Amino acid sequence: MGIQDEQLRKLIDHIFDSHQDDVLDCDSCGCQLECLAEKVAGGASLREMWPEVEAHLMCCRDCREEWQALLCILRAESNGQLSTPEK
Amino acid sequence: MIDRTNEQWLAELTGPPDVQALALEELRGRLQRGIFYYLSRERSDLADLSSSEITQMAEDLAQDATLRVMENLDSFRGDSRFTTWATKIAVRVAISDLRRARYKDFSLDNLTADGDLLPANATGVTGTPELGPEDATERDDVMQRITAALKDALTERQYQALVAVAVQDVPLEIVAERMGTNRNALYKLLHDARRKLRTYMETQGLSTQYMMNLFQD
Ligand SMILES: [Zn+2]
Repeated sequence: MGIQDEQLRKLIDHIFDSHQDDVLDCDSCGCQLECLAEKVAGGASLREMWPEVEAHLMCCRDCREEWQALLCILRAESNGQLSTPEK
Repeated sequence: MIDRTNEQWLAELTGPPDVQALALEELRGRLQRGIFYYLSRERSDLADLSSSEITQMAEDLAQDATLRVMENLDSFRGDSRFTTWATKIAVRVAISDLRRARYKDFSLDNLTADGDLLPANATGVTGTPELGPEDATERDDVMQRITAALKDALTERQYQALVAVAVQDVPLEIVAERMGTNRNALYKLLHDARRKLRTYMETQGLSTQYMMNLFQD
């Protein structure tokens, strides 16, 4: 019973969520990701400087997952946390 | 580890065999360290794997990622560090691989508007305990109208995509693959589907505000 309720709410959230989802698509978001990730890893605010990218990341799970992964690796790298894994 | 400039990376990766081999090896190692970090620190879904399994996984993925970087060298525009761009590609390779493994059995075939995902006579919504009988009836009624709207306003493709992505949390990439399209096209298709549904539902008296109020927690 609960599952269906949950499903319905997810669907409605998705349909009626008021986010702006037509500013950027995945391709135009993805092609600038490395450049933005460097700046954000260096302390810039995504929300202030690239709100349209942030808007896309908020509503696109795939792009968000890749963005977060890239950012976490860059941060680890600049903190010297990337070591050679031992076999 | 030598820190190369972007120009050095490009020159060496396309240089004479011995120079290229060394640069490739360093690139691969670098990508592997990044992927390993990501898999071991950020992926709770891999927590059951041993460290050596993750190491092996990172090694394989780094190999694939290095090949992908080489295939795409021409598209590097130079507006970031070369290694950041390569890491972006590696992240895509790794995450795509994880998605494919996780959803290898996923099929769109049983997602049809006639299926039982959102049955017309859905009694499930009455199950929420805090709802009074009137609210529950109202929600049941709205539920039926939503089901009808999904059938009437959307194409089969739009319906399948919407349910897979919004309800079943399947990655766009996977749904796009099953549909024989790409993620960007699917994103646009979903955008159109949402807009179409909202417009249709408004004409049925199901405004955004009304829906949000009715289904808010
Ligand atoms: Zn996207």
